[in-house]
Amino acid sequence: MLDELRQRLRAMEKTTGIEDGRGLVPLGMADVDAALGGGLARGALHEIAAAGEAHLAAATGFTLGLAACARNVLWIAEDMALNESGAPYGPGLDFFKRAPERLVTVAVAHKRDLLWAMEEALRCRALGAVIGEVRHGAIDSVAVRRLSLAAAESGALALLLRAQPAHDASTAMTRWIAGAAPSAPAHDFEFGSPRFAAQLVRNRRGPLGSWILEWRDTDERFVLAATHAQPVAAPLLNRPRQKVA
Amino acid sequence: MLSLWLPRFSTDRVRRLREFQAPLVVYGRRGNADVLTAVDDAADKLGLHAGTALAQARAMHPAIEAVMEEAEADAALLDKIADWCLRYTPLVACDAPDGLLLDIGGCAHLYGGEQKLVADLGQRMARAGFAYRVAIAGTIGAAHAAARFGNPAAYATGEERDIVSPLPLAALRLEPATVASLARVGLKRIGDMIDLPRSPLTARFGATLLRQLDRALGAEHEPLNPRLPVAPYVAERRFHEPIAREEDVLGTVEKLAARLGVALERRGDGARRIELTLFRTDGAVRRIAVGCSRPLRDAPDIRALFSERLAALADAVDPGFGFDMARLSVVIAESSPPEQIGIGNAEDAGELARLIDRLSARLGSQRVRRPVALDSHIPELAAATLPAQMIGQDHDWDAFRRHRAESDLAPRPLRLLTRPEPIEALAEVPDGPPLRFRWRRALHDVISAEGPERIEGAWWSEQNGHPSGNLARDYFRVEDRTGLRFWLYRAGLYRDLVRGELPNVAPPSWYLHGTFA
Repeated sequence: MLDELRQRLRAMEKTTGIEDGRGLVPLGMADVDAALGGGLARGALHEIAAAGEAHLAAATGFTLGLAACARNVLWIAEDMALNESGAPYGPGLDFFKRAPERLVTVAVAHKRDLLWAMEEALRCRALGAVIGEVRHGAIDSVAVRRLSLAAAESGALALLLRAQPAHDASTAMTRWIAGAAPSAPAHDFEFGSPRFAAQLVRNRRGPLGSWILEWRDTDERFVLAATHAQPVAAPLLNRPRQKVA
Repeated sequence: MLSLWLPRFSTDRVRRLREFQAPLVVYGRRGNADVLTAVDDAADKLGLHAGTALAQARAMHPAIEAVMEEAEADAALLDKIADWCLRYTPLVACDAPDGLLLDIGGCAHLYGGEQKLVADLGQRMARAGFAYRVAIAGTIGAAHAAARFGNPAAYATGEERDIVSPLPLAALRLEPATVASLARVGLKRIGDMIDLPRSPLTARFGATLLRQLDRALGAEHEPLNPRLPVAPYVAERRFHEPIAREEDVLGTVEKLAARLGVALERRGDGARRIELTLFRTDGAVRRIAVGCSRPLRDAPDIRALFSERLAALADAVDPGFGFDMARLSVVIAESSPPEQIGIGNAEDAGELARLIDRLSARLGSQRVRRPVALDSHIPELAAATLPAQMIGQDHDWDAFRRHRAESDLAPRPLRLLTRPEPIEALAEVPDGPPLRFRWRRALHDVISAEGPERIEGAWWSEQNGHPSGNLARDYFRVEDRTGLRFWLYRAGLYRDLVRGELPNVAPPSWYLHGTFA
């Protein structure tokens, strides 16, 4: 009975067009994938906010880690963001195991142009992921919805990178807060692999979570380093959609 | 060759801006005196002419209106008229200061013959308020001479020799001094000189005289120097009823593009840069160009690019009373084998190129870029981004990867600041990594550090705007308490400071150059 209702609910959700995932990108970590319902949904919008201004580079790394590397990636940022936080650096991308030749950067003057370019790019079937970097300010919810629809059309991964956690409502599939976490020293005076504190603060499929991830550039994926002792929310897998207070 | 002369150009220009009742003169400063540079018909009848001193002219006729000359405005207007004349032929040259040259070979029949073309041109010039003289001849020299010195009643055609013979020698575009000295020996008309023995003339008056004569007669070729490069492919369309709506303009673009596409395909070319020229009924000309990252010949694609471009133009295309002619020209064409266009295995590449073109058309091609690796050891010069339309898909980073593997390069940051930012750093030992540092007002405690990696400055080049100039830099990769990773460097070596070998060595200073994931 309950299962039947759940299935019907899922069928109804699909009509929005946003959650009609063309597949999921498993991140390769059982815990995280379970929370996401199998993996990061393609053809949907995901928001990644840096835990703070200084964590933007870490959030950038996290975003690039999520973006599937096999296909082209388009990175759209405002001029201001590139001046303030630095532009993507080709050799650095290569060290992060993200092929620089697959990257196209677009600098825009206004947020309006950024959203336009993102939507335009999401309709292109040659792209695996479109990253839009928004420095600050709210994003029009209509624009976000348009992005979601555009992503659903082409099946590309739409990633919105924000410099600060946002509190506005959004139709994004998931919302993350990403920051740097202290790395485990490998040997003496040697640097460990970069670690990220990733917090899943909103998930249309239900469960939330908080994890420490480590980026393994040898096999180009994240591995789970440690789970927070106290999860932000109980990972209740069958949690119903958020209730309207 | 058609020569158009606007004998009252400067005064006509002033009259277009403002209404004048009195005779109008334009003056400019020559040496220490204000001298008339142009006069209108009424002033001409009063006996004024260019070269008269302004004070003298005012004394003779106190009622005249005098306006200061504006050479730039004259030149700009002449350019505009030249643009406008592109409707007749793509080969238009300025014949400064007050004339134009049009190569109408092969174009006149489009207007139903030279007579009709000249009538059309004359009608439009008169409507715009310009006095004009037109002549058509086989050579630039003869057309120029006939327009200025020939019979004003009709434009001249025929044998160059017949045209120029009755004209004064000044028509040959000679120095006034040469004309004067020729007059002194009794040579006044061109006809007087044509059959004279050549060597004494050259000996006495220089080679220019005979060269100008030969050019006028067609014995020596004189190339036309068109204002704009001639496009290899051109398609144009005239409208009986002017069009004004954007959809109509785009529809026209698509039709013209389809025509160009056929021509391009026949020669196995594709367009890399396309220009749309719109001729407004009132004479204004608007040129809009788009670039493509790969040779293009599909009409819908070209239409889509112009659609983006038009949407991005801040002032939109102001149609006024409508456009009565549109021309689409392929400014840069590149050979492209037919199988590369349309379907193929590289469908992804094609899709991406189309997206890049669309974004470039709307935002500007400088804003859509791809990273390229450069051959330099200095971090900010080791990589750059170039407009994506320029490099296409060709660039690969294999050379960089080889270099990275061979030299065991230390990791590079994910984001590099455009300019390294100075930080306050405290180091335990002078040459060691910092213990803590302050960047953008936040204090970071360094937990672990890697380095140094010494990168010598480019001593052979200038400072190139870099804050630390050409000093050697020691790079460190550091991680702070929260796990943030930075790429810092110390510019300058303590060694240099201690040894005192170099004069004026500043103490080393710290900079933050990039951030790691």
